[in-house]
Amino acid sequence: MAGSILITLALAFSIFSMVMYFFTYRGAKNTLNIARMSYHAMAMLVIIASAFLMYLIITHQYQYEYVYSYSNDDLPFGFLLSTFWAGQQGSFMLWLFVTALIGVFLQSYTGKRDDLEPRVMMFFTLSTTFLLAMVSPLMKNPFAYIWAEPMFLETAKINSIYLNSAFMQNFMFNDPNSGQTFVKMSKDLYATLQGAGISVNQFIIHGKGLNPLLQNFWMQIHPPILFAGFAMTTVPFSFAMAALLKNDYKDWVRQSFPWILAGSGILGLGIMLGGYWAYGVLGWGGYWAWDPVENASLVPWLISVAGIHTMIVQRKTQAKGGMGKFVKTNLLLSILAYVMVLYSTFLTRSGVLGDASVHSFVDPGAIVYLFLIIFVGTFLLLGVGMIIYRWRYLESQIVDEESLLARELALFTATVTLGASALIVAVGTSAPIFKQSVETRFYNEMHVPLAIIIGLLNGFSFLLKWRHSSGEDILKKSKFSLIATGVFALLIILFGKVYDVMMILLSVSAAFAFFVNAEIAYKIFTGNKKMLGAYIAHIGFSLFILGVVGSSAYSKQVEVDLTKGKPVQILGHTLEFTSYNPIENNTKYEFNVSVKDGDGKGEARVIKPIMFISAFNNSLMREPDILEGFTKDFYISPLSYEDGSNIENKPQGNAVTLMPNEKTSVEGAQLTYTDFIKPDMSVMMGGGNFQMGAKLTVTKNGKTETIEALMKKSEQGVTFVPVELKDADLRIELTKIDPTSKKAELIVGKLSMPVVTTQPAEVLAVNASTKPFISLVWIGVAVVVIGFFVSTLRRLKESWA
Amino acid sequence: MKNKYIFGGVIAVVFLGMMIFLFTKSNIQYESDFDKVMSSDRTIKATGSWVKEKSYEVNKSDRTFAFYMKDAAGHEMKVIYAGTIPNNFESAQSIVVTGQYKNGNFHAKDILTKCPSKYQDKQSAAANS
Repeated sequence: MAGSILITLALAFSIFSMVMYFFTYRGAKNTLNIARMSYHAMAMLVIIASAFLMYLIITHQYQYEYVYSYSNDDLPFGFLLSTFWAGQQGSFMLWLFVTALIGVFLQSYTGKRDDLEPRVMMFFTLSTTFLLAMVSPLMKNPFAYIWAEPMFLETAKINSIYLNSAFMQNFMFNDPNSGQTFVKMSKDLYATLQGAGISVNQFIIHGKGLNPLLQNFWMQIHPPILFAGFAMTTVPFSFAMAALLKNDYKDWVRQSFPWILAGSGILGLGIMLGGYWAYGVLGWGGYWAWDPVENASLVPWLISVAGIHTMIVQRKTQAKGGMGKFVKTNLLLSILAYVMVLYSTFLTRSGVLGDASVHSFVDPGAIVYLFLIIFVGTFLLLGVGMIIYRWRYLESQIVDEESLLARELALFTATVTLGASALIVAVGTSAPIFKQSVETRFYNEMHVPLAIIIGLLNGFSFLLKWRHSSGEDILKKSKFSLIATGVFALLIILFGKVYDVMMILLSVSAAFAFFVNAEIAYKIFTGNKKMLGAYIAHIGFSLFILGVVGSSAYSKQVEVDLTKGKPVQILGHTLEFTSYNPIENNTKYEFNVSVKDGDGKGEARVIKPIMFISAFNNSLMREPDILEGFTKDFYISPLSYEDGSNIENKPQGNAVTLMPNEKTSVEGAQLTYTDFIKPDMSVMMGGGNFQMGAKLTVTKNGKTETIEALMKKSEQGVTFVPVELKDADLRIELTKIDPTSKKAELIVGKLSMPVVTTQPAEVLAVNASTKPFISLVWIGVAVVVIGFFVSTLRRLKESWA
Repeated sequence: MKNKYIFGGVIAVVFLGMMIFLFTKSNIQYESDFDKVMSSDRTIKATGSWVKEKSYEVNKSDRTFAFYMKDAAGHEMKVIYAGTIPNNFESAQSIVVTGQYKNGNFHAKDILTKCPSKYQDKQSAAANS
């Protein structure tokens, strides 16, 4: 109850603050302080509500549906933190929490700059209002009680002393499919428990637990940083709207600049951490799969970064007076970045992508669906509507023509290219709405030429002067970079064996950008270090592209069976599966694989991929392990493990499982399980000798035969009688048969292939791959992020001017 | 003429053209009616559920994984996936397979298992009866 009250109060304060800011903007005299106080009250309430949710999770208050659904009492403290954002309700709460905090700083920032505060905060509080409505008791409320909606709980989660109570009988249900018993938690059961004097927290003593994929370090830091990045896009949006409202476009760029830079840095970092999680934990073998949820976070980032480039031009061209160039572009991109964050939220939370993503988001219900549409629609209409409304004025302010060889034009082209990238990703990701979808090669093939253009611009634009440059000057300045790039190109072709033309172009353009930026960065390093930001970011970006080329285009992978104790040479490494051992209280198994370079001489390093059956979802989970290095990563993802104990004297062939009347084709033959051969039940119960099996028809080369695959029980034990078909060259042997379900398991092999009766072996099947220069992907992004923050500092200073 | 319109325009036209071309080339449709899946020779994303009553097979030698899927109307087909059994398979509520229907089997090159317990729980339907 307390949580819902906090949220509802905060919602009221948020609306009140917005209205008061509006009145202040309209000229009311004494409303500004009320608006500020309301904002701070709202922020305070949101912080308390978040702390309260955290408290509920840590103290295992399972009477709350959210705590029950996403945590359990055996989780360590660190993973209980992840529970906060493991579900939809909590992640909206996290987004709201970060937004409210950013607003506190934004209020103080805008409060010190002329009449900025009411205009900006009006739009910012509109955003907090929507987010608060989202977590309010009407929608995705994390403080909903477990009995609010009927819910079926496993009996294992319930305190067993109550299970046999007489009053429970009406609330127990059997699932005929699984045979499991569930307790139906509802208002009725709540009332009954109340009547019996039992608190819900005494009654439900365990939670469902946290998805094992989220139980790692990366999922503790990726979501908060990503949502901080999302929340930050609200700020440039508010600045753009504030400028449109006042119809004054000179100052907003300067004021918005540090925010959009910091926001892009944070969002970029968040995206990269998600990629690292996919690489190191999910076992995708890569960091990016163009999954809708990944794309959804990438599009706002691309738009923000596109905006930054033309915002620089607007700032620079203001020097001559007037509002500068590309005002409409900048306003539109600032608005679109936030609208795309909301649109992404709609895509990933509304269930429209249900079939398209590994993140299986379930339909949240009609009300939430409609609300999400209203949320996106409101901000889109407000933003685009305002630009259209001011269009004529903005058109009339356009300034003079620029030269072809000017940095302005290069930067504008960069914006268009980044915008094209955003459009491509957005179109591909939206396709499932129309029951369409695209293969990942759509994204990959589109981005190769885009990345080449970006690489060339990345280097070239820094050689250009503002307004106009001479060709001679450019040639002189690019001497070092051109020579260095030429050497680089020779090196990768001769020694890197890179022969694909597109990949050469891509690497060369990235290298060119790297050398240009590095040369300039080196020159100004001794001067004003604050000016370094842009160069650092662009150096990082070119490193990133080189890492992408190496790790994607030149990655090699093989699937290999590792028999215990037998070294196998693959991909320039010698692998040997040595042993496995249980870890974390026997819940998981670590498979030790010793890896040596080359042909097996030299020092062995052990990598330990993990497999386990998760109690959370009853499935086999696999975790890769990586041998990390600067020039390449060696990546091992486990596939399966056979302990060898139950396949003694196993004949060669295919394992086939059939139910009565089921057909399959194997080794070129049609196999039909026509009848179950019943055992004599009374003899079987009495422990006597009996036989049972499967009657099968086998069709091969147009000939059909009927055979009996039998299991015989005698004093000597259980034996399986193999059936040999000479004409069909088949050997069929029963390995297991279940008298109740009649399921038969068979081994079908070629007769001409000898039965191997070697000692059973322990075999670990793995997917091994090498990822050349994947380290540059992480280093590159980290350097980009540093660049953004250095630039933020510089632009923060300028924002006062 | 304004340079920015020439530059921006050329890039926009070239990439829009490329995008439309590649979109149609790499486009895959979703299909939840297996009758249509089985009568088409295009690459399709078929959505349905795993037939739990029928067993699945893992073939070690050619590394395939075969199982049966059915659609909402109960039409069944055998799916052969080039790979191992995916994480979460047993608890998957619905499955999306990408591939082609050929010679009586659906040959999948990609499989997506959707697990009910991952984000939200929907076991009420099963337990209600």
